[in-house]
Formats: sequence, C-alpha cells, structure tokens
Amino acid sequence: MQNAKDSFYMTLRSRLITINPDRTTLLRGAVRPGILVEEAEAPFAQLPNDVFILRWLNLGADLNLCSPLVAAECEIVYQTCGTIAFGGLDRGRQLTAMDQELVAMLQPFCTPKCNYSVQPAVTMLTQVFWDEPIFTTIVTLRDRITRSAKVIVYSYQEHGE
Amino acid sequence: MTASMPASWFSAPSPVTRRVRAYFAPVNRATQTPILFDPSQQGAFSLDAPPAPWLDLGWIQAFTRKPLIKSAPILTGIPAAPLEQVRENLEAQVSFQFLSWTKLTMALATGSQHMNLLAPASGASLAADGASAAPAVVVQFGSTASSVELSATDAAKFSAGSLIAVDADYTGQTGYVGSPVSGAYVRQTINDVDYIRRITFNVGFVTVVNGTELVLAAPLPGGAPAAGLKVQAISGFVDREGGCFYQEWSALFVMQGSQGERILFHYPRLQPIAGTEEASVPLNARQSPSSERIVLKANFLALPVNDSLDSERVLCYRSFLPAPQALV
Repeated sequence: MQNAKDSFYMTLRSRLITINPDRTTLLRGAVRPGILVEEAEAPFAQLPNDVFILRWLNLGADLNLCSPLVAAECEIVYQTCGTIAFGGLDRGRQLTAMDQELVAMLQPFCTPKCNYSVQPAVTMLTQVFWDEPIFTTIVTLRDRITRSAKVIVYSYQEHGE
Repeated sequence: MTASMPASWFSAPSPVTRRVRAYFAPVNRATQTPILFDPSQQGAFSLDAPPAPWLDLGWIQAFTRKPLIKSAPILTGIPAAPLEQVRENLEAQVSFQFLSWTKLTMALATGSQHMNLLAPASGASLAADGASAAPAVVVQFGSTASSVELSATDAAKFSAGSLIAVDADYTGQTGYVGSPVSGAYVRQTINDVDYIRRITFNVGFVTVVNGTELVLAAPLPGGAPAAGLKVQAISGFVDREGGCFYQEWSALFVMQGSQGERILFHYPRLQPIAGTEEASVPLNARQSPSSERIVLKANFLALPVNDSLDSERVLCYRSFLPAPQALV
C-alpha cells in the first residue's frame, strides 16, 4: 500500500502546484507545496495553518480477488486563521478556498501507481483510485477554523508489493 | 517469469466504475439506418469528444439493462428431455435517469415528439403546445455551425441569452420531418408554417450578437445552416403524453473502469417505451422534507438490426476494452 499512498500524495501535490502555486509552506528550511504527509514529518506540536495535511487512518483488504484490493482511509486536515492583512476576518473565505482546492485536487479520481522508493520513480502497472471526499463539520478554536475530509484510496497489489 | 524480471502484466479483477456516460445519435428514419459504433476503431475515444455523429448527453444514473429474451427447450424422448434450445423472442429494455434537463435529454425521455416553444406572435391565441409564432427570419449566406448570419434588422431582434431554433419552413410535406433529427412524423398536412422549427433539434444558445451575426455557445447539431433556412426565438420546450410518434435513436453507454478498462454498450436502435416520467431525488437523504432534484427517467425498448457479419438479428453489442497490461 505504500506505493499507493505515495502516489496519492504526489498526485495531489503536483495538482496543487497547478491549482494554487502560491500555497506553499516552509518546512525544514525548504519552501514546498502546501501539502504534506503527517506520518512522514516530525511530530507537530501544532498543525501548520493554510496547509493540507494527509493523515492515514483505517486499512482494509479484499483478498478474494485475482489481484488483492487494498483500501486505505486518508483524512486530509486543513485549518486557517485567515490573513494578517484582514486581521483574520477572512478566515471563512480562506477555508472555502481550501475546500475548493481540495475538491479540484481530487479530480480526476485516479492516478498511475508509481514506486517512489527508487530513483527515478517507476510507473507501475495499475492505477490508484479513490472515492469522493466526505467533508466534516468545521471545528472552531478561538481564531482558528479547521476542517477535514476523508477519502478512501484503493489500490490493487501488484507482483512484489 | 524470473524473480528478477519486473512484472509486465497483472490480473485485473472485475472493473470498478463510478458512473455511466451516455451518447446518442439519430437514426435516419427515412432510410431506417441506425448509427453503428465500431469499438475496434472508436472504442478508445475521449469521453468529452465522442466521434461524430454521437452526441454527448453526459453522465447518467440508475443505468439498468433488462434482457427479456426467452428461451425454450425442444424436448424429445420418453421421458422428455431437452434436445436443443431455441429463442422464442428477441427483446431487451434499458432504463436510466438523466442528470440534466436539455432539449436532447427531454426528447429522449419522452415517448413522443418533443417541441420547442416558439416565441409567440403578438396577440396570438392561447395554445397548449405554444401559440402561433412570431414570424421567422431568414438565415443569410456565410453562416457556420457556431454562428448564424442574419440581416441587420433581423439580428437586432435577438440578444445574448436568446434560445433559437433553426430549420426550414413547413411546406405541406408528409412523412418524417426535421433535420438532422427526424423530430416528428406528419401523417397529414398541417396548417403551421413553423411546424418543423417546433419539432427541430437544431437549437442553440446565443452568447453574443455581433452586428449581423448570432454567435452560439455550441455548434448547431445540424451543422452550418444553409442560406434560406429560418430562425425563431424559443422560450423552452414542451412534450405531450400521448401521440403516436416514437423517437428512435442509436445509443452508446460507456463505463470507464478504474484501471483504464472500458465497457461499452451499443444499442443500434432504441425507442422509448413509456410516456414522460420523472423521479425525485432528495438532495439531503438524512433530512425530511428536503429539497429534491427532479431527474428525467428514460425507458427504452431495443429494436433489432441485422448484423452484416453473419445476418444474425441483434439488439445490443457489449464490448470490453481491457486495462493496459491486464491479463485477458
């Protein structure tokens, strides 16, 4: 499933660069697209604002098929306090913008599966695909508003996986 | 395959698909010629750009195929036992719901002819399927499928946002009328010079009026209108329960699989079997009452064609294009 998880993340990241190249984050001294995988970073004391954070949750498998189908649940969390220029009064608009970016990033609902553990990455035989997102209610904590969306990501296991 | 050799194939389970896309093409009623789809040459087409003359009707839902072919055994011996099977009838139905209301989807989901509501003439008396229309204006030379040339005086009668119907005057002919789609069958002469524009599928949306030119949002289904055809504004559509005309279309339904595979169902001849019917779908299933989406229900009977390959009569062709690198 690691190849599927990597492919899902890399696809969303490359789509985000196209959708909103200005959404970036400074992480470990480098400016990167504003999307990251929580389990692949150092633990956060506080999740960064204005960034999409992928969090992998449940896992399931259908082993009765000629190629086993694995499904992993991905929670995509994002939050904002708005911008300083507007004193945070635009935090609703900022969150709506991130809602739209996420919907756009998830389409189309598939991508080729790649093995990113080798350099250069190798395109595999199958496609990773996913369902439509299920959005949660906004959570407000003082001046910060947070939302998440859950997506089930599917992948067929290939030889050697 | 050796352990060091990378795999070049995979075993593909049953296709996983999210939705079904529908395409229709008009059957030439006068010559009884359906539109054939060749999956070997056309099967991999871009879903957003179907090959001509197929018209994209978008995504559909509740797509259901119902084969109604009955087989019966030929019994022989004592006690009787099946010797052979024979097909007693050849019948199939297909049903689904359209997710939009357009000229085409409404027409396909109705059991009879589908009409345009022509802009009424001043002072015209009331009529259930649209009053007598305001006079049509003549298409001038130089029109294309996406722009209609008129005289300056006539073009001034239209504005951005107008809906128009483009077709010929009715001159007393009988039989199938309308171009490029036969929109009705006239059994006896009708006293309405605008009748063909009432039933035509050659309709468009005006995005801008440039002097003498009506620029359309999408090409007219009938292509560039010839000089001499006429244009009328329309305000909407109307269809009727009853009547004796049956629409007939060739249909293509595409299921795109998650791995790039594709299932195609090609019905060369489909006719509606039910009258107009709608279904209501709650926008929020967890709330009652909830706003409801009204979707057009379409139910069709498949009619047979003779396959030129072996002269068999068939109702539907189901094609499967496997995923790249998938075992077959």
